[in-house]
Amino acid sequence: MSQYDEVYRAVSPAEFFYKYREIAGFANPVRAVYQTVRELVENALDATDVHGIPPDVKVTIKKADETQEFYQITVEDNGIGIPPNIVPNAFGKVLFSSKYVMRQSRGMYGLGVKMVVLYAQMTTGRPVEVITSKPNFKRIYYFKLRIDVNKNEPVILEAGSWRKTRDWHGTIVSVTIEGDWNRAKSRVLEYINRTATILPYANIALLTPENEIIYYPRVVNTMPRPPVETKPHPQGLDLEFLSSLVKNTGFETLEKLLINSFQSIGEATARQIIQKAGLDPAKKPESLTNEELLALVNAIKSYDKYRPPSPKSLSPLGEEIITAGLKRAFEPEFVTAVSRRPSAYSGHPFIVEVGLAYGGKTPIGEDKPVVLRYANKIPLLYDEATDMVVEVVKDEISWDNYMVSLPAPILVLVHVCSTKVPFKGVGKESIADIPELRREVKLGIMEAARGLKQYLSKKIREEEAKKRAENIAKYIPEVARSLSIILADEDSFNAYRSEVVRKLTTVVAKRTGVSLDLIQGIVKSVEAEAGV
Amino acid sequence: MRQRLGCSGVTSKIDLEARGKALDIVKYSMRELLEQIERGEKPTLIMPKRTLSNTIYDLKHKMLLLGPELQKRSFTDVNEAKKFMQTLLMASIIYEALRNNEYPTIRDLYYRGKHSIVYRSIDGKRVSENTWDEQRESDSVIRDLEVLLSVLREDLLILSKEKGKVVGNLVIRSGDDTIDLSKMGHGAYSIEPTPDLIEFIDVDAEYILVVEKDAVFQQLHRYGFWRKYKAILVTSAGQPDRATRRFVRRLSDELKLPVYILADSDPYGFYIYSVFKAGSITLSYESERLATPSAKFIGVMMTDIFGDSVFKKIIKEREARKTLEEVATGIEDLKPKTPYLSESERSNFIIKAKTKDLERAVELIGYKVADVCMEDKDAKSKIKRKEGLTGYPWFATPHWVRELCIFFNTLSKLEIEAMASKGLKFLADKYIPEKISSGDWID
Repeated sequence: MSQYDEVYRAVSPAEFFYKYREIAGFANPVRAVYQTVRELVENALDATDVHGIPPDVKVTIKKADETQEFYQITVEDNGIGIPPNIVPNAFGKVLFSSKYVMRQSRGMYGLGVKMVVLYAQMTTGRPVEVITSKPNFKRIYYFKLRIDVNKNEPVILEAGSWRKTRDWHGTIVSVTIEGDWNRAKSRVLEYINRTATILPYANIALLTPENEIIYYPRVVNTMPRPPVETKPHPQGLDLEFLSSLVKNTGFETLEKLLINSFQSIGEATARQIIQKAGLDPAKKPESLTNEELLALVNAIKSYDKYRPPSPKSLSPLGEEIITAGLKRAFEPEFVTAVSRRPSAYSGHPFIVEVGLAYGGKTPIGEDKPVVLRYANKIPLLYDEATDMVVEVVKDEISWDNYMVSLPAPILVLVHVCSTKVPFKGVGKESIADIPELRREVKLGIMEAARGLKQYLSKKIREEEAKKRAENIAKYIPEVARSLSIILADEDSFNAYRSEVVRKLTTVVAKRTGVSLDLIQGIVKSVEAEAGV
Repeated sequence: MRQRLGCSGVTSKIDLEARGKALDIVKYSMRELLEQIERGEKPTLIMPKRTLSNTIYDLKHKMLLLGPELQKRSFTDVNEAKKFMQTLLMASIIYEALRNNEYPTIRDLYYRGKHSIVYRSIDGKRVSENTWDEQRESDSVIRDLEVLLSVLREDLLILSKEKGKVVGNLVIRSGDDTIDLSKMGHGAYSIEPTPDLIEFIDVDAEYILVVEKDAVFQQLHRYGFWRKYKAILVTSAGQPDRATRRFVRRLSDELKLPVYILADSDPYGFYIYSVFKAGSITLSYESERLATPSAKFIGVMMTDIFGDSVFKKIIKEREARKTLEEVATGIEDLKPKTPYLSESERSNFIIKAKTKDLERAVELIGYKVADVCMEDKDAKSKIKRKEGLTGYPWFATPHWVRELCIFFNTLSKLEIEAMASKGLKFLADKYIPEKISSGDWID
């Protein structure tokens, strides 16, 4: 073979990700710990709240080797469980996922947990252990498996099952990886904290290798409404998607395919589109040529009378949950939340939600409020500088106009939920600048800030009223004394004076609209200083 | 009846009665306030407004009076709360002094009421403030109480320094004593700070002469002027205090005698006359009891020094005449005047007017007269900033226009002492009697 020849061979997806693990977030031992926790926790949450189950999630991290930096990471949930026949592929075959339907969930690419398994295999050689049971199952299933990288196939090392002795359902996943816990710790804690902030309806516990327990107890019983699976909206279509659709379809005609595969396309719309593409409605979908497919895509995308995409596939947190979460996290003096109405970009429905906390234990925002970003209930911790949401908070809102003088203890939480959150890059850590989205984010923040402004101006008014009352109340003892000198007999002077103080206190409280207690407090302080 | 009371020692019956009356007035007003509080209303003091805008010149009574505007001072109004407290504090101190038979001065009252109010503010700070800091504040509250209670401070037995003096054929009762003011030797009777407690018993006089300068008063006294011309001789020793003004007013009212004022021939002298006659702007609420509207200015007039030739020359010009007529109609009907001083005496006695004199003169008569009569360009530039002033209404008479016009033209002033220097005999036997008998005064 000469030096100019090259060997081409197919690479299995498992092998590909094994080699390019940085893309999936496993670039180094610090990042690996964080990424493993994150992937497992997100799966645990997707198995619970998406299905209407209040999550109980327990994360345990243990040192797994005395000499080497091996850590066993175990995440337990009380979710819907996984059918035993699915388990091997769900954990052992890259790109096998239930997540190809159109509904909001945390993971998008169906890669996460397999990357964890691969990474564990690569660094410690230890297999993944899975214990799972669905709610109506009588047995609990146990698997120990690894991935055959070359074949992209699961290898079952051990499997078994036993009868349920208690009413348990959910999944326990345990992996052992090499990692740098000491340096990853703060990131993991932050991730858990930020996740818990918007999930006040979840019990989340973390046990660290140092045996510290970090626990966020459930404070509300309200759950976000679960997302409903919907068909894709035609505006979100691309050639790739359409190609795979026509190959795997069970529909006999192009017309039926369109009507049944998309939302917002009925008979009339389907005919118009097909006519515009210059095709035959009765044509078999499998027989479409590449040129015809392209014409069809263009016809579908250029049609402009669709109803907007259905927001049923979304699961916003809701104002009550955001408020409760912020209260639990920051015990703020003021909190408000705004859930915007559904909107859409390029056929993808989205909802922007904004929470705003002020005062209490809210961290201080220096030149702008502290921003907590979430996408589909996942906290975004990195790449803040390039995030559109942060840009809006910093540059598009004049906080002065809302009576906020920075630095101030103020925090803005922005949650974007969508069937397709527009991220910048595969890191999934910052939100891209889409005009429709930017507008909603801005309007949401402004609405929340108006609530804050109302609160602050009321507070200032009340404080001014108190100050005014104070500037009157401090003279009550002197006025009462003077009146009593003139009007009271010497023997009854003290009783007389007290009575005048009491009456004046009432009058001043009534006239200034300030509480009697406050007036009395000031009067008492004057009397105490004067030794009355 | 003599009685020993507290630390004040022997107190006269008149005093006791005055105290009783004052105590009742204070008590009555404060009881009203208490009733408001008991009804749950905001405690409010209602009193005439003591501001320049509410000071009016009453043309009929020819004096400065408080206008009809009322001021409401509510305790629950945050801008008035402190003043309210101060007013009541002052009332209580005055009340205590009255009850204890004391005679506080306004300075005493300032010290008695001055103390700290210390309290803990709503933000937890310990704050200390004084009931009042400067005497200006407590003095202002005393004035408020005077209008609130419609009494003068003298009625509340508040004393001030004695300044005015009087001699003459007059017998008075002061306290429990009877005093013959014609038997004061070389001295004189000091007009007490509470002139309303004086009783006039006997009088043998034809007019009252008030002399601004104490020195001139003494000279006339020793010369025996009052005995010779049956006058009651009074001096205010400069700016008249309240007691002297009230005393003169009572002499005028009760003895029905004409009052003549002899002051320096300068804007200050003219102003002192107007305080006697019409009242002062800052104390306009007292005018009704302190001003003597019938008081006449007999001198020293500018026309006594210069005659009227200067003025005649000025009003020969049509424009000037017209302007001055606008200030006061009748300037051409004024009686002609010849000067008492010769050319050489004038040059010896007159003093050059200062900027302050010029400014005060503009305040009295207005800028127009100055503008028309003044020839000196330097002097004119000095009063330029007073342009637009219209003067006091009670100076807008033909006589005063002539007097001040001559002043502006000659830029000269003259003290009464100068008239005495020409000869005490001239002053006592010629100048004063001649002016009175010929009616050469300004009313």
